[in-house]
Amino acid sequence: MKRNVAIIGGGQTYHAARRHDVNQVEMTNEAIRRALDDAQMTIDEIDAVLVSNMEFFEGTHMTDCWMVDGSGAYGKPGLKITTGGTVGATTVCAGAHHVASGLFDKVLCVAFEKQEEGDTGAILSGVAHPLWGRSMAGAAVGYFAMMGSSYMAAWGAKEEHSAMVAVKARQNARKNKYAHLKLDITIEDALNSRMLSWPIRMLDMCPASNGACAMILADEKTAKDRCKKPVWIRAMETAHNEQFELDWRDAKTKRPIFSKVCASRIYKKLGVKNPAKYFDVFEIYEPATWTEIVWYEDLGLCKPGEGFRLIEKGMTNIDGPIPVNPSGGVLSTNCIGASAMLRVWEAALQIRGDAGGHQVPKDVNRALTTAYGGTNWAVMTALSKTLD
Amino acid sequence: MAKKEKELISVPITVDVPYRFAAGKYMTKFLMELKNNGKILAIKCPKCGRVQLPPRIVCAACHVKNDEWVELSNEGTLVGFTIMYIPLTDPTTGKPHKPPFVYGSVRLDGATSVLDHLVNIEPTMDKVWVGMRCKVVLRPQKDRIGDLSDIRYLEPLPGQKKPREQRSYKDKEQ
Amino acid sequence: MTEDKAYEPFEVDQHITANSTYYAGDMGSRFYIALRDKRKILGVRCPKCNKVYWPPRSTCGICFSKLSEMVEIGPCGTLETFTLVTYSEPVHPRKAPFIYGIVKLDGADTGMAHFIDEVDFSKIHIGMRVRPVFAKERKGNILDIQYFKPI
Repeated sequence: MKRNVAIIGGGQTYHAARRHDVNQVEMTNEAIRRALDDAQMTIDEIDAVLVSNMEFFEGTHMTDCWMVDGSGAYGKPGLKITTGGTVGATTVCAGAHHVASGLFDKVLCVAFEKQEEGDTGAILSGVAHPLWGRSMAGAAVGYFAMMGSSYMAAWGAKEEHSAMVAVKARQNARKNKYAHLKLDITIEDALNSRMLSWPIRMLDMCPASNGACAMILADEKTAKDRCKKPVWIRAMETAHNEQFELDWRDAKTKRPIFSKVCASRIYKKLGVKNPAKYFDVFEIYEPATWTEIVWYEDLGLCKPGEGFRLIEKGMTNIDGPIPVNPSGGVLSTNCIGASAMLRVWEAALQIRGDAGGHQVPKDVNRALTTAYGGTNWAVMTALSKTLD
Repeated sequence: MAKKEKELISVPITVDVPYRFAAGKYMTKFLMELKNNGKILAIKCPKCGRVQLPPRIVCAACHVKNDEWVELSNEGTLVGFTIMYIPLTDPTTGKPHKPPFVYGSVRLDGATSVLDHLVNIEPTMDKVWVGMRCKVVLRPQKDRIGDLSDIRYLEPLPGQKKPREQRSYKDKEQ
Repeated sequence: MTEDKAYEPFEVDQHITANSTYYAGDMGSRFYIALRDKRKILGVRCPKCNKVYWPPRSTCGICFSKLSEMVEIGPCGTLETFTLVTYSEPVHPRKAPFIYGIVKLDGADTGMAHFIDEVDFSKIHIGMRVRPVFAKERKGNILDIQYFKPI
């Protein structure tokens, strides 16, 4: 990068299925004020405001224009980004590019979704080709279900393994005061929850959440002058798949799919040989249980076909050697526009040692976050405590 | 007097977005051959040789023009499936698909890409598995409109049994 | 096989229907309840900028202060600009022709877009004083004001 970029502050709302007490702007403003407080900064000091949102998921368009008062963007440069599930991470990348370029020193990244207000399924159907699958669309769950059936047939994993992911996420969420689904559940509970689309049950899927996250990114000088615990953005990577080719579902595909391409590129940038050792914590984007197991393999935390053994052995537990999603992840909180930014912010909190109840019990110097968007692309961000 | 819960105002809004979609050159050829002649056409990349479905003008991986049309077999292998228990709405008609039903991803013989569609089979776990051989069943020609739904469903070829290793938790339950 | 045959361009007409429910939030709810129950129009004051905004909002866009001081504005106001709409759209709550204007209510620093009625289009002018006509049955939305008419 041309200039080093640090996360110098951030904040989030509590996440819930119902937020009738606030409108979209008021909700988002809660996170922004927390981020400014955290960075000990006023809105006047911010040079640009970027908004991350899957507009129309809550029935409104031009959400960045709507919320100028609440976002603090009045009179400032900025833009809105809409890239699906990845959008929160894409917005962090865009913010980092703004700073790295030298054009801006302090950029506020704002992410929100108020899912209860709109019809996400209907709007998502617009992602599918009108003549090739739109009539059957509206079903992210069907996509992940086929990923699960393909994975089980390929490697001999069982539904118990996805249930273990479901339990880990919700038990971790109980330690995170902001998380949506704080559920004290067991593997049996997960296996007995309502079947949605075999092998995906209710507890295998993410909820529809309302919530927001905000982060402030700054250049090295500002970060060192103003922030006691800056977290450095060391590398970012985005990779797209092609339209219609849904090979992420295909457990044994030999093609260079987006998730593996993205991981190998970011590892190459950083010189990572063994990601499970190099990174101390992972915050990954897992809208369904099976995606977490597939991410383990695509990230190279284990060999292909061994992802389900990692969860079985408890390797990715909060106190395990490779902690994955100590926050509870997307399975516990999914306010889509903010979900991928929450991954980055939660990873930053782990590096600062400020995660509170869900802080992993070891030194955290480096973290990797992922994001996933339909129809198949990934964004990854690598963070570190120091610039070494 | 008991404290009244604060009233919060909401407004329901329905948006109906009409649109006209042009299928384009390659998709038109695919849909017209499906509708008029019952053929399933794919396109082969001259460089990497991938046989792509639906046909598209550029190979995304090689950035070259695809120009070799290939007629696919109407038989293939199931590479993934689900039994859907939620009444998904067809956004183009507003009507729900009645659950439970089997939805699968089939790789037709000769194709690199897969095709997702309904599978006409009893929605129980002992009747469906990865690796099952299926064939494409079209609607009668007079009912075809030039849409993927001109394929009525996929249907298992007779005389197959689910392999033992794919049996799983509560196999019989659902 | 080459492209040996020409195909007529193929187009389809489809539509997507999406339902949503907008929550007005804290300030919005107070505004709509006062309008519905008391026929009062509320704005919010920013003490720092000394401005009164309509619609009421929780944050001042200019100085980023948290706002809480609701003040009654109007009900009369001054027409700032207007137009005659002569085409109909499904989203319009009225059939054309109708007059649409921006009314700056007394005591407010921002305008409100609404219908202007009971006036001859040739007589209407910027600076004209107007007052609201409230709906008999009010439901808690902006059409609880039916329209504004000249005083």
